[in-house]
Amino acid sequence: MRVLGLILIIITSFFFTGIVFRTKSIFSGRKGRSIFQPMNDIWRLMRKGSVYSQTSSFIFRIAPSIYFASVIIAIMLIPFGGQKGIFSFNCDFVFFAYILAVGKFFNIVGALDTGSSFEGMGASREALYSLLAEPAFFILMGSFALLTGYTSFSDIFISIHFGSYISYAIVALAAYILIIIAMVENSRMPVDDPKTHLELTMVHEVMILDNSGFDLGLIFYATNLKFAMYGAILANLFLTPGKEWFLSIPIFVVVQILFAIIVGIIESFIARFRMNHNSQFIFALTSISLIIFLTVLLMVGKFL
Amino acid sequence: MINILLITFGISLIYMGIANRLSTCINVLALQGVLLFGISFIELIEINTLNLIFVLFETIVFKTIIIPLFLKHVIKKNKIVRESEPFIPDFMSVGIITFIMLGSFIFANIIEVANIRKMFFIVAIAALFIGLFLIVSRKKVVTHIMGYLVIENGVFILSLSAGNKMQMLVNTGITLDLFVSVLVLGVFVNRIGNTFEEMNVDNLTNLKD
Amino acid sequence: MLFYYLIIALFIGIATLFNRNSIIRFVLLGMFLTLQTAITFYAYLHLNIEEYGYFKYDSLGVIFMFVLNLLSFTTIYHSHIYLSHRKDNSRVQSIYFAALIMLIVAMTAVYVASHVGLMWVFIELTTLSVATLIYHERTSLSLEATWKYVFVCTIGITITFIGIILLSFGIGESVAIDFSFKALQEQLLHVNESWLKISFLFMIIGFSTKMGLFPMHTAAVDAHTVAPPPISAFISTTLMNVGFVAIFRTYSIFAHTSIQPWINEVLLWSGLISIIVSAAYLLKVKHLKRMSAYSSIEHMGLTVIGLASGGIGYFAAIFHMVLHSFVKASVFYQIDQFHRNFGTYTISKTGNYFNRNRAGAIVFLLALFGVIAMPPSGLFITEFWIFKALFTSSHFLILTLALLFLSFTIYSLAKNFLFILFNQTKDMLPVQETTKVSETYSQYFLLALIFYFGIYPPYQMINLIQEAVKNLP
Repeated sequence: MRVLGLILIIITSFFFTGIVFRTKSIFSGRKGRSIFQPMNDIWRLMRKGSVYSQTSSFIFRIAPSIYFASVIIAIMLIPFGGQKGIFSFNCDFVFFAYILAVGKFFNIVGALDTGSSFEGMGASREALYSLLAEPAFFILMGSFALLTGYTSFSDIFISIHFGSYISYAIVALAAYILIIIAMVENSRMPVDDPKTHLELTMVHEVMILDNSGFDLGLIFYATNLKFAMYGAILANLFLTPGKEWFLSIPIFVVVQILFAIIVGIIESFIARFRMNHNSQFIFALTSISLIIFLTVLLMVGKFL
Repeated sequence: MINILLITFGISLIYMGIANRLSTCINVLALQGVLLFGISFIELIEINTLNLIFVLFETIVFKTIIIPLFLKHVIKKNKIVRESEPFIPDFMSVGIITFIMLGSFIFANIIEVANIRKMFFIVAIAALFIGLFLIVSRKKVVTHIMGYLVIENGVFILSLSAGNKMQMLVNTGITLDLFVSVLVLGVFVNRIGNTFEEMNVDNLTNLKD
Repeated sequence: MLFYYLIIALFIGIATLFNRNSIIRFVLLGMFLTLQTAITFYAYLHLNIEEYGYFKYDSLGVIFMFVLNLLSFTTIYHSHIYLSHRKDNSRVQSIYFAALIMLIVAMTAVYVASHVGLMWVFIELTTLSVATLIYHERTSLSLEATWKYVFVCTIGITITFIGIILLSFGIGESVAIDFSFKALQEQLLHVNESWLKISFLFMIIGFSTKMGLFPMHTAAVDAHTVAPPPISAFISTTLMNVGFVAIFRTYSIFAHTSIQPWINEVLLWSGLISIIVSAAYLLKVKHLKRMSAYSSIEHMGLTVIGLASGGIGYFAAIFHMVLHSFVKASVFYQIDQFHRNFGTYTISKTGNYFNRNRAGAIVFLLALFGVIAMPPSGLFITEFWIFKALFTSSHFLILTLALLFLSFTIYSLAKNFLFILFNQTKDMLPVQETTKVSETYSQYFLLALIFYFGIYPPYQMINLIQEAVKNLP
């Protein structure tokens, strides 16, 4: 049954971006396309062959695959309710963060490998934003570990419970931080606009300018998977252990759909920030997670 | 519940650091007024009805409505540029504000605040120093007043956490004084706006040896 | 009684604000001065009597009430001269005097307040009322100075309030705390040291904005520069006394606790740095009023050093404040005449004042004796006591440094004053306006007091001061 989480995440990933696009269409007064259209696009890309620049080396060719693999491995760590993930060990959230970082590293190295100045610029921005978002994630998970006394995803999520009203506040804040981290990591709206057509203002899109065909499809699909993966973490905050599967699975799906709609709403109503405002916005996440950490410190009564 | 309000207050302080529009800052101040209303309502409801009404009136009417409207009026009347124009980059501001929060947490642990009041104490001290930081790091005269208001909110939280120990009469005097000071500062901002082209502190450097 | 005083003074103030007739204004001011004198003597006759639980006519307050009473006569007189020479319209004059009345009332209330919160309220009131007066000339410079003064003082007083709340934290949660000074003194004995230190620091930082001590001295200096000279006289004397009274009372509630050596160190260094800063600025100062302001800061530094070194230093500190009030007030009143004579405050553009206005020049000369504490003046004696107290409490480093930097200030003050009085330059500004000799009589009176008090200090005052310091360890 440990595979259940993986299967659910993969199923979610098929329609997640579709829901985001549909939400945006509805808010802008359009009917919108089918929610499986993004998946169809990816499938179309995957059937095509790739074109490689003569200046690029083998790194450029393996980078998308490694990126995709890293996301898959990260997903395998995510528990589902009381179920452990496929892998589960102590401090696996550190492994989770760094396996994603490995994928991102190869993405960046691949972009640098093309020798294009645009891609270098995009890579540098992407690296900066992930760098800034990382402490927020770690402090958040650290405070959860402190609160529960466990250090693996599944144990943490099993033992988080809504004992006191303050844990509602912590979970709400954590949800906020996770949503924003998901937006940053997937290069979505307040930080980066996937729809922009000017290379100078792109972040993630400009990095993958040279990828084509199958590779591009992989990168796009990895984005979908990452969204579904963060959605799964969010859903885990609301899944209490001991529930039957017929309760857990609807909760999971509802949380994912809500998450997708929230992303759509954010993208519809928030303008993208000026490039120089991004870093403080992302860093503020760290500050907020630090507040969570301090609150947890106060709650558990472990002081200096 | 109070703790949730206090956490929100702390987050609003961080938001104050990255808000780059003056109107955002004013809205944050109004939000802080509402939060203070909630905190004081929960804190004082059992103690003293007259005092409670007075404090609630102060938070809702003064802090949430009058002062923000007054500041907006000042900004509109003097055609102040809407950006807050800090001396140092916003990124640094957020970093420094975070360090202030950490510092006040450590400070509260060093001087051994009684456990139940620790959250109040931390948020209040953080608000005090963040207000001072906003004052020294911002260029505009109006933002100085906003920094002062943040300090005042911190003082409010601190006095709430100390319990209701001051006599009613003294409390009234203190509140009125603070309110009048804000008004006087606002009046002088208006004057500065009339006298100088732009209301930056750069204009206020003529007095020196 | 104080309640009636506040009410009547409020009515007189409001009447002054709305009155446009100059004769009625004289009558109102006369009534106010009578009232002020009455409350002062009432306080002296009812020494140590508490009123309403918030006010107490203790000896420290009464001493400074007498100083304030005397100086409010002279200040109102010189304000009248100042305003009539500026030809301000009646409305502006009304605002000026109404604010002045409010300032005097607020200062009186600070002197006799026995509740720390109430004292706080009235100190903030002095800031607001003096701001109106500083802004009197309505220039961009006065706007700048007023803004800085109000802002820094308000922040400072807020910090003080935080100190007071921290004190109540330290005393404890369960007890109902009495915030009168007398009760605080006993309650503080059981408080944790770190709480005491922190709340003392916060309170001192806040009150030093009023007194003009080192960390917060800049606002006061800027305010002196642009305020009307009679108001500068007030800022430099009675308003600094307000800061001193606040610091003295704070000191006396903390003095019985175990951190007394520590707070002495803090005050000593704060005073010493004030002296150093004023000495540094005095060496390059160009503006006559700024020069006098820095000289005030130097005296405040000395006073605090006297307070912190204990023993006879307590006595000397209070006495020094009284004498300094008289000498600095006369200097600022004379600066008004000086300004009318030259049309400028810049020292380098002036000179030969001795031949231009003999009576005023002699005021400056005598005041110089006072300011630099030459032997016949009373300030020599008080400064001598302060240094003696430093010596007996064996703070030799502070003593040496203070004496060293004091000699710098003496040099600069003497140089500048003598330049004003005797320098003969060819391209001098023409005499703008001659001043009457009769205007200097009040200044001579104040200066005479300095010398007289130095030689024959009245025993009533000695008793009052001794009673004020008798509770200190």
